[in-house]
Amino acid sequence: MYRLLEKGDEEPVASLLTGKVSSGMTRRLPSTVVSDLAEIVGHEHVITDPDCLLVYESDGLTAYRRPPRAVVLPSSTEEISAVVGLLHSNGIEVIPRGAGTGLSGGALATPEGVIVGTARMNRILKIDVENRIAIAQPGVINARLTEATNPYGLYYAPDPSSQSACTLGGNVAENSGGPHCLKYGVTARYVTGLTVVLAGGRIVELGGVGRDPYTTLDLVGLFVGSEGCFGIATEIELRLLPITEGVRTLLGIFESVESAGRAVTKIIASGLMPAAVEIVDGPTIEAVEASVFAAGYPLEAGAALVIEFDGTDAGLDLDADRAEQCCLEEGAIEVQRATDPEHRTKLWRARKKAFGAMGRIAPDLLVQDATVPRTKLPEVLAGIDDIGNRYGLKIANVFHAGDGNLHPNILFDRQNQNELELVERASKEIMQLCVDAGGTITGEHGVGVDKRQYMTLVHGPAELEAMAAAKRVFDPDSLFNPGKVLPAVEVKGATDTAKILAIGE
Amino acid sequence: MRVDLTDSLSGLLPGEAFGHPVPSSLWAALRTGVETVVAPGSAEEVATLLKWASEMGVRVVPIGTGAHTYPRYPRDPFLVLTTSRLNEIQHYEPADLTMTASAGASIRDLSTATAIHGQWLPFDPPDVPNRTLGGLVATGLSGPLWAGYGQLRNHVLGATIVCGDGRALRLGGKVVKNVAGFDILKLMVGSRGELAVITSVTVRLFPLPVVDRLLVLEATDVSELVSTALAVATAPIMPASIILSATSDGGRLLVRLHGARVSVEADQKSLEKHTGVSLEVRNTPEAESLLVQERDSGINTELAVRVWALPSRIGMLLDVLKQVPGVRLNADVYGGSVRAYLPVNLSDIESILAGLQKDIEELGGTIRALRIPAEVNASSYFTKPLVDERELAAGLRRAFDPHAVLWGTQ
Repeated sequence: MYRLLEKGDEEPVASLLTGKVSSGMTRRLPSTVVSDLAEIVGHEHVITDPDCLLVYESDGLTAYRRPPRAVVLPSSTEEISAVVGLLHSNGIEVIPRGAGTGLSGGALATPEGVIVGTARMNRILKIDVENRIAIAQPGVINARLTEATNPYGLYYAPDPSSQSACTLGGNVAENSGGPHCLKYGVTARYVTGLTVVLAGGRIVELGGVGRDPYTTLDLVGLFVGSEGCFGIATEIELRLLPITEGVRTLLGIFESVESAGRAVTKIIASGLMPAAVEIVDGPTIEAVEASVFAAGYPLEAGAALVIEFDGTDAGLDLDADRAEQCCLEEGAIEVQRATDPEHRTKLWRARKKAFGAMGRIAPDLLVQDATVPRTKLPEVLAGIDDIGNRYGLKIANVFHAGDGNLHPNILFDRQNQNELELVERASKEIMQLCVDAGGTITGEHGVGVDKRQYMTLVHGPAELEAMAAAKRVFDPDSLFNPGKVLPAVEVKGATDTAKILAIGE
Repeated sequence: MRVDLTDSLSGLLPGEAFGHPVPSSLWAALRTGVETVVAPGSAEEVATLLKWASEMGVRVVPIGTGAHTYPRYPRDPFLVLTTSRLNEIQHYEPADLTMTASAGASIRDLSTATAIHGQWLPFDPPDVPNRTLGGLVATGLSGPLWAGYGQLRNHVLGATIVCGDGRALRLGGKVVKNVAGFDILKLMVGSRGELAVITSVTVRLFPLPVVDRLLVLEATDVSELVSTALAVATAPIMPASIILSATSDGGRLLVRLHGARVSVEADQKSLEKHTGVSLEVRNTPEAESLLVQERDSGINTELAVRVWALPSRIGMLLDVLKQVPGVRLNADVYGGSVRAYLPVNLSDIESILAGLQKDIEELGGTIRALRIPAEVNASSYFTKPLVDERELAAGLRRAFDPHAVLWGTQ
């Protein structure tokens, strides 16, 4: 067995059951540290007022809450370096944070930690049209990069659902996906170079589009998706794509999720390369149609399948025809096709507004995230349905079907303690189901604090230790975002029992 | 240096692992130093061998076919580990467009299996059919097709590896989206055997294009083609690949378009409108043989380097490189890289390399050896990683290969 304990682990692992991981006591930062931080970034950019810190007590996964000791908002690589250097030299942990839209508790503060936010690092530093790259600071909002590059006929491909709010730095930390990554790939494909601040404030350049990527190991690839545990990316070099000429969007209505799933398998196996293939299931359609976002879907529909093709306009009708045929062969009740932007928006509405609409049905929503091989979708969806029925929980599925990336959304009421427990048990069963089907515990939301307990479902001790060893190379004293991603596991024969945690039973 | 196969090793592995001749493809400079080739028949045997090597202080040079192994061998006792007996397709689900195969499986064999289902691995580095899957991943080479399909590193979904100390690890998985933990899988792509021996790989496959059209433009000097090539690279459509090649006989621009017939027709029109140049369509089988010729023509050259810079500087790179007498160039215009095959009989080879390094680094680019004769001091003339990168990479090497058993091909 291996030993993998970090300062953040000194209290029980976060759990939905405990509601929050806060001990209720946040230690104030020593005033000398506060004044030194203010010296670096300016007094107004160091937040220590307890009421103001509440804004930073959670990310998009609000089940876990803990206010940080302070929040610091630097505006440049040099300031981040100085801030990290100061905090680390005082043994204070740094929790990097973008817009806080993450869904795995990755930006949750540790009891001793200070959040370093990138909100002020919001400049696009360079758009190189000739080489189709941009260099941005980490606080730039994802959608803004596409807006800024559109005039040059370019755009930034990864499009997480939160793209109008989430930051590029957060995308790098999470290796974010989005509906169109089926064709275009996830964030890692687009990051060509990074300036990062590592432990102690060391500024390091990694990669760069003009350098042979294999002059050394793929350190850029390793850094992307490291969830703030290796350091903070302070400048991000990203590859841009030419705007595609045409788009065709199809909406297929099906009686069941299973038949929609079969249509997806048929479309992909037929050699078509859709840009996006998304499914919303019956309970989701019900929620959307009952909300202000109603898209006019038939209420008896068991599933809606959104398929999008993009590329050279001339080939798209043919692709759309073939996809439509696949849908009809698998029993689609109807298939609509959009060519103009307005109609396209309408067809996407149920998919895009699903999360908002669910608020009508239940006070709380747990957005789960897992990936299975695409061919296993029907059986896994049936299994999720069965888990929901057994626990008496309503589960609505919205997912990236082309990638096999599921988002089972469990609806519940946090005030009902009994229901909370059921949600936790159902979540774990869903994870196990996906892993048993050859899948994994997270496709795009990251592990954060939420999925640590499931890491042992997919990785053995040797793999986890190898990941821990990689982290130690970047962050030997575990001062960046400790207590995230890697589970702590009991060390056989260890005497320091106070630090022993058992996870995953 | 000679390695005696001790009783302990021959007792640890079955007889089939021994007695393999030194592969004739193994690069000459390395071949001369090789006494022992071991071919483990399973990941477990790879682990056994590496544990033994760790204890005995024997270096291990991991190879696929060995044809593209970097020609440096250790001064310490060493043996060569070949994956040639790890060559089966372990799992292939056409409907998922994923395949898992042992590291020693050849790309030719995998392509035969996938073609039946209208699928392929869209990578075209030199000599790709003869490479092994593990070797392809270890070198990280995608070939110019990455313009249209993305780099190999984005399509490796999982791998099993054995670290230098014999630890077997299972990285990634079989699914196309996976962020469960730190991405140490990506570290293996392009790691050239420095961290671990790759024993199997899961890759994402792609549907074969309905139409694969090759467009060609020729000129007496490659420089005349650079502006057209750059215009193609910045066109509103994305070709599957854009190659510029040059020999003393002249230059050639090759652009590949993939897709349905109507879209390929439209893409060609769009390219011609954007570049203002009319491109000549080459039909199969001529197109195929031309592509293979451009891809493979330098693979037996004893001195080959890869030069890399911003794509917009490709013309400047070519200007620098074509000064070398007898050089043969092959540029991936989208990626901004050039493979340069240099004649070895140049008496002033070291001063030529030194000059190239200086000029290319002044352009903000990098130069590294793909293949060089044993007598040339490789480390002197090639771009070093940045100091910080080197330090981090060294730390990772210690983590994966604590006893420094593996002799990476860098």
